[in-house]
Amino acid sequence: MSARPASAPAPPIAAVRGVDKVYADDAGRTRSVLKNVDFEVRSGEVVAILGPSGCGKSTLLRILIGLIPPSAGRVEQHGIPLEGIHPGTAVVFQNFALFPWLTVEENVRVGLNGRPLPPFEADGRVKTALKAVGLEGHERAFPKELSGGMKQRVGIARALVGRPELLCMDEPFSALDILTAELLRTEVYRLFTERASGLSSVVLITHLIEEAVFLGDRIVVMGANPGTVRREIVNTVPHPREYRRDDFIRMVERIHDVVTRVHLPEVEEEEPAAPTLPGRRPAGPVAPLPAVPMGEILGLLEILADHDGTMNLFDIDAITDYDFGRTIAVAKAAEMLDLVGTPKNDVVLTDFGRKMIRASAAERPALLRAELLALGTFCLVIQELAQEPDTPLAADAVRDLLAERLPTVDASELFETLLNWGRAGHLFEYDAAADTIALFSGREEGAGG
Amino acid sequence: MLLVVLGALVAGVVGLAQRWEAPIRPAVEIDLSPSALPLYTLLSLSRGFAAYLLSLAFTLVYGTIAAHGRRAEKVMLPLLDIGQGIPVLGFLPGLVLGMVALFPKTNVGLELACILMIFTGQVWNMTFSYVGSLRSIPGELQEVARLHRFSFWKRFRTVEVSSSVIGLVWNSMMSMAGGWFFLTVTEAFTLGDRDFRLPGIGSYMAVAIEKGDRRAMAWAIVAMTVMIVAVDQLLWRPLVVWSQRFRNADIEGEDAPESWVLNLMRRSRFLRRMRLRRRRRSRAPTPPAPPESAGAVPGGTGERARAALVSGLGIAALAVALLGAWKLVGLLVRVPAGKWLVLAGAVGATSVRTFSALALAAAWTLPIGILIGRSAVWSRRLQPVVQIVASFPAPMLFPIVTGVLLVLRVPFGAIAAVLMLLGAQWYVLFNVLAGASAIPHDLDEAADVYAMKGGTRWRTLFVPAVFPFLVTGLVTAAGGAWNASIVAETLHFRGTTLETFGLGSLITKATREADFPLLTAGVLTMSLAIVVLNRLVWRRLYRLAETKYSLNR
Repeated sequence: MSARPASAPAPPIAAVRGVDKVYADDAGRTRSVLKNVDFEVRSGEVVAILGPSGCGKSTLLRILIGLIPPSAGRVEQHGIPLEGIHPGTAVVFQNFALFPWLTVEENVRVGLNGRPLPPFEADGRVKTALKAVGLEGHERAFPKELSGGMKQRVGIARALVGRPELLCMDEPFSALDILTAELLRTEVYRLFTERASGLSSVVLITHLIEEAVFLGDRIVVMGANPGTVRREIVNTVPHPREYRRDDFIRMVERIHDVVTRVHLPEVEEEEPAAPTLPGRRPAGPVAPLPAVPMGEILGLLEILADHDGTMNLFDIDAITDYDFGRTIAVAKAAEMLDLVGTPKNDVVLTDFGRKMIRASAAERPALLRAELLALGTFCLVIQELAQEPDTPLAADAVRDLLAERLPTVDASELFETLLNWGRAGHLFEYDAAADTIALFSGREEGAGG
Repeated sequence: MLLVVLGALVAGVVGLAQRWEAPIRPAVEIDLSPSALPLYTLLSLSRGFAAYLLSLAFTLVYGTIAAHGRRAEKVMLPLLDIGQGIPVLGFLPGLVLGMVALFPKTNVGLELACILMIFTGQVWNMTFSYVGSLRSIPGELQEVARLHRFSFWKRFRTVEVSSSVIGLVWNSMMSMAGGWFFLTVTEAFTLGDRDFRLPGIGSYMAVAIEKGDRRAMAWAIVAMTVMIVAVDQLLWRPLVVWSQRFRNADIEGEDAPESWVLNLMRRSRFLRRMRLRRRRRSRAPTPPAPPESAGAVPGGTGERARAALVSGLGIAALAVALLGAWKLVGLLVRVPAGKWLVLAGAVGATSVRTFSALALAAAWTLPIGILIGRSAVWSRRLQPVVQIVASFPAPMLFPIVTGVLLVLRVPFGAIAAVLMLLGAQWYVLFNVLAGASAIPHDLDEAADVYAMKGGTRWRTLFVPAVFPFLVTGLVTAAGGAWNASIVAETLHFRGTTLETFGLGSLITKATREADFPLLTAGVLTMSLAIVVLNRLVWRRLYRLAETKYSLNR
């Protein structure tokens, strides 16, 4: 494994091999963020890492350039183990990370830090970088005086000024409004294609499929819980790329299919089933719940109903203005509750889903409860609570229980979702002050018996 | 305006003191055996709490009035500012003499004086915090209260107090800590050969030092530490954690504070399945407000009566202030011209000492605070420790520190600066710590990526990021240092009196010699010096901190 084949081409600029990352929270619950990830950046390519929020793509980037250490696995630069920070790298941060007390020019000069250059050469480089991003005339301004788009230009100039062999962009446009983001994206595209300022390789982190197709030469699709590299696709759309062109749209649809298959698989993997509650139909496996509130799930049903009960995931993205990860999560949640079916890329309202829409707000909890009780995760928690039905249980006990059964999932987040759905279905009561959870004890008959 | 109010205060206290006659009450004997300590500690503790309750009551009443009346606010907020600025310890002699004069036969006057002194040390930042939170209550919440016709009482409970609980609890904790400083000074107060001691841990320490009883000194320090830790762990920690429930949900996500006491009460990590008793809370919706009777029309007679009351009070206050100013002028003309020159020189000497103390404080807290604050683990571990150390009343340590420094042949003029530093440095450390732990993560990563090391990193990232916090800490510390000069520039030590030229020692001397005109002039000069320095130095630094070095990007 460790020996490289003698005939191999030049080793990649940066690479991770079999990397794991595990985080532990204060309560000692561990969460696996990355699992067995292989990834490399070769000279002269733009790699887009595509994945929904929380899939560990930012963590992967930080491990790749040495900002954080992996829990297991190897990190290499030019084929040798990486020590400290990757020497040829620069980063454009999501929230700019400019020093507020330095002027624009001084901020850009930070990018030359640690490089002994003659003063005139340094000045010249700063000037060139500022010019490349259209910041001439703003040299003496402080970041506070600038709009978000201008701030990110400073961030890009700072990254370019050192002529990095590896430029990392961590969701560089996601803190900007749509129009500003689009303008800057086009300018960055030009910088990439012209290979300005000695730019060699780029890693772009994004959650937008169009952005990945627009900028990336190679697109790496990541899956979540834990984060893994699922697919790599070579982007065949020729330059200059344009959103409205057929080949661009086809590529986007192809990536869309891949992503959907990664995040919304046709067949559920079999996991050990949860013990069935007495008097109920057999429950499904104890599985993670997509982190979406019930309100959004019901909202999806309403949108579907307005579109004759069936819609393409792609079109839902467009209407909701969600990124694809979020739309998929909502669809997946609705599918878990038998409210929709998801053949291929379509989302189709089921009969039960139609019934849910017609039901009044007062009737919905009862409908939901029946569905929730068929989910293994809920059965698990209800069984725990039912041992002493009249006393609340410390919520941490439930979080521990979830962490134990689903070690790759953020137990706190899962608990939030569980609580949100459970409350909507009148299964649980929660006391925020005491952080305790109890079986619902409203006027209706108690759940779970 | 400022002068008139200050003058009235000074003149009032001094006027009381002048009527003082020989004490009839017997001097208190302090028992140095360790078995007496628990009782003394309890006595001191109860004084601290009495003063705290007074501070709380004052805060709630004053803050509510100041935040509601637009006119009241204009007068009451600057008043608070002055109150915070005046050197309270300068008033101690006058206050003690005056209170004893009011109750000549018992300790009541002394106790009251002691409690009032602690009160003045506690109250200002609590009131500031309360007024601040009241003014930042979201307008919508207030509109809801008005729409649903909340009574004054209900609005106070559900809107105002709950919006300010977090700040109030945090500042209460800080105030209690600050109050101990005064407790030990006032308990052990002696004036020449006149003895105004009260039984308590402060006077125990004082007697122990006087007699050179090292064992008793050690015991006193132990008892004080135990008290501070106990109050912190049993009262403040649980309160701080409890108060988090009033947190605005939008700001959630930062590290929530933890309290083991509250954890024990709520649940235990070790006993995973610990069951809790259900907290029965009335979930019944509040009954709709009764239809308003014809009599109580809002903005009618009630409003007018209140306006009349406010203006009446204002006039009365103005009258008292004018009377005080008149008396003040009468006192001040009796100070000979030469003394004014001496006072001016003393201001210079104490200023130098204050600024050296602050420079020393900044010099060690900046690197240490940043190092600790940068490590999440260490700051979590050390924060409570530092908090407890900071609550320890510095005057109790004065003799020990002085003893050590005298052996090292440090002149007392410099020692006094160190003593002033002793209490003040913690404010700086706290703030630097807070600042260092608030350095944005992405700036840190940018510094990593762009190879900022050693000095460059400190210059470009750490120090600028901490600067606003440093200024806040220094301002608070400056006030504390000025105050401390009164007890630091004159020190009774092993039977002798050490003294160095300065405003603090001048005030102490004037007190000892019952030179009331000079005392008044001294206290007034110090107040003025603090105010002037605030305008000239601190306000400018504040502006710089708020503009250039603000992290609000």
